[in-house]
Amino acid sequence: MLIWFLPVFLVLLMVGLPVFFALLFAPGVLLWLNGQERDIALLYRNLYNGMDSFPLMALPFFMLAGEVMNRGGITVRLVEFSQALMGHLRGGLAHVNILSSILFAGLSGSAVADTSALGSTLIPAMEKNGYSRKFAAAITAASSVIGPIIPPSGIMIIYAYVMGESVAALFLAGIVPGILVGLGLMLMVRLLADRYDLPKAERIVSRGQEISRLESAVSFILLRMNVAGVLAAVFFGVGSFAGGIDVNGWLVFLLFLPVAHLILMRIRHSVSHDFRVVCKKAVAPLQTPIIILGGILIGVFTPTEASAVAVFYALIVSFFVLRSMKLSDLSEVLMKSSLASATVLLLVGAAVAFKTVVSLSHAPELLADWILGLSENPLILLFLINILLFVVGMFLDAGPAIIILGPILGPIFTDLGVHPVHFAIIMSVNLTVGLATPPMGLVLFVASQVSREKVETISKAILPFLAVEIAVIFLITFVPAISMTVPRWAGFVQ
Amino acid sequence: MIHVPLRILAAVNTVLLRIGRNVAWVALALMVVVILLQVFFRYVLNSALAWPDEAARFLMLWMTGLIAPSAYRWGGFVAIDMLPLALPRLLGLLLNLVLLLISLSVLAMGLKFGWDHTMGFGGNFNSSSLRIPLDLFGGEMVRVKLRYMYASLLTGMALLFLVNIELILRTLMAILSPDRDTPPTDEPVGLPMEAE
Repeated sequence: MLIWFLPVFLVLLMVGLPVFFALLFAPGVLLWLNGQERDIALLYRNLYNGMDSFPLMALPFFMLAGEVMNRGGITVRLVEFSQALMGHLRGGLAHVNILSSILFAGLSGSAVADTSALGSTLIPAMEKNGYSRKFAAAITAASSVIGPIIPPSGIMIIYAYVMGESVAALFLAGIVPGILVGLGLMLMVRLLADRYDLPKAERIVSRGQEISRLESAVSFILLRMNVAGVLAAVFFGVGSFAGGIDVNGWLVFLLFLPVAHLILMRIRHSVSHDFRVVCKKAVAPLQTPIIILGGILIGVFTPTEASAVAVFYALIVSFFVLRSMKLSDLSEVLMKSSLASATVLLLVGAAVAFKTVVSLSHAPELLADWILGLSENPLILLFLINILLFVVGMFLDAGPAIIILGPILGPIFTDLGVHPVHFAIIMSVNLTVGLATPPMGLVLFVASQVSREKVETISKAILPFLAVEIAVIFLITFVPAISMTVPRWAGFVQ
Repeated sequence: MIHVPLRILAAVNTVLLRIGRNVAWVALALMVVVILLQVFFRYVLNSALAWPDEAARFLMLWMTGLIAPSAYRWGGFVAIDMLPLALPRLLGLLLNLVLLLISLSVLAMGLKFGWDHTMGFGGNFNSSSLRIPLDLFGGEMVRVKLRYMYASLLTGMALLFLVNIELILRTLMAILSPDRDTPPTDEPVGLPMEAE
């Protein structure tokens, strides 16, 4: 009897009931018909307990940090920096678009934010440079899915919480797949550049770049500290500092500081003034992912604390260094982030409630039997699951989809011997690519809004890029090492 | 006929939700401060505080309960709305009405169980670490009851319930007298409502 909640749930979802209500109504009504009134109270309690969580708090914080960073100037800085690095290639601005997305992904965990921020700067610029508008919109949408794959990532926080995995492990596991998607897209741009004769661009857009003295000093110090940190990490062997840094570690770090300075001064002489300033202006924003990942890696912060520190850093930078924010902007930024995170938190709570009924109903066992009846070979099953996730991703946002499907599919594949972290990455990448897939892909609509190009037109132009992304999905699915190497290395996965 | 109650309810909701949103953003700001304090005390002063973890969760629950209803009012609850949009106008509105009634039933149950949860036995217990330090001001130290935390979701349910009724009235208006003006939803312009 209780097993019927799953079809009821799916039907309600398809006819348009908000996911939050469907997650509660379907199990609730069947418990009621079953006369298990007491379990309905349990449903409510789990909704509450599901939201009452410390690890989950990283979600509003990362949203807030991204929002603050996004406020002013930062997008332009990232784009100019990317252009200085890759603008001279054929199909230059398309490459710049992809690289900006990769960098932006380290600041925000959202594909929508990525599309709207980068799209509004880059699509007009690409048009001026001789690209068609639909191509510009398509590459913006296609590259924005990197946002939730590279940490910090909203959906990975949700998945880790609902499934009881380590956020840090998922974050680390997402780095290489995210970069891989980016490289795949660049390869496709390269191919298209030959075919359609895509133009090159200037590396430096506006000559005579300026930088404030304070920011220059901040970048000066941060750069040297980062390079010294990397040198020290290489010196000790990466991964050996997962337990914290001792006195020797700090001494070596200090020793490497002058070395770092010398290296940077050498590079300094070989580049132009404008190039140097453009790079310097990207240092302060790009420090955010380094703080987050560095803090988690060294074991100084939990992800929640890292996210709060990221907010703090973002505030300091935008108020005092970049001066891109005013005190009066603060309430709006806070309200926007709390509005966006509250809906997700409610959903997560409802998913936890839903999950208890899922396990009461023996649905996973039945579903597992059915799925295993299709094939016993994990590789074939993974292939089928890829297709299922891809289709779901076309219709549903990544967050809700992961909330619904994680508890049902996760255990089945873990039993088959797929590592939970690997499976999490398969799900996340699959569902985020779904965000850019016609007919219902969310970022397509955002890209259409930003570019004023029809969704249908963008949908056609995006197809070659989607082909690349699907290829990368299969690569990630069947080569676990792509996702698992970094977290293993850092000691977050056995 | 529907116009008058809708107008009144919309006005009430506008006021209540504005208050809710303003408390919510302050709560988010306080959450950041509390967690930063925790980091500071643990890593810099080397003495961990007991209360930040619970205080931050307290704030997060209230933030959610107070601002989520605004999101619901502005259509920010994720749904697959292909079918209601694809149907002819009237049919789509009727389907919406049915869906809103289903949501209303969920919220009604939410209110019932939320009340039991908050006012019941469990809510009487004291929080393990949260206290209002009135002893600093010569009063007596008050322990925070779990009830004060539980009430966040109940409040959220109540506000969602009000919003849901408003949405039902709006749909009825659209079905019965589509030409009349509807009261404003207080939604700011250009606010993207998506989380991912």
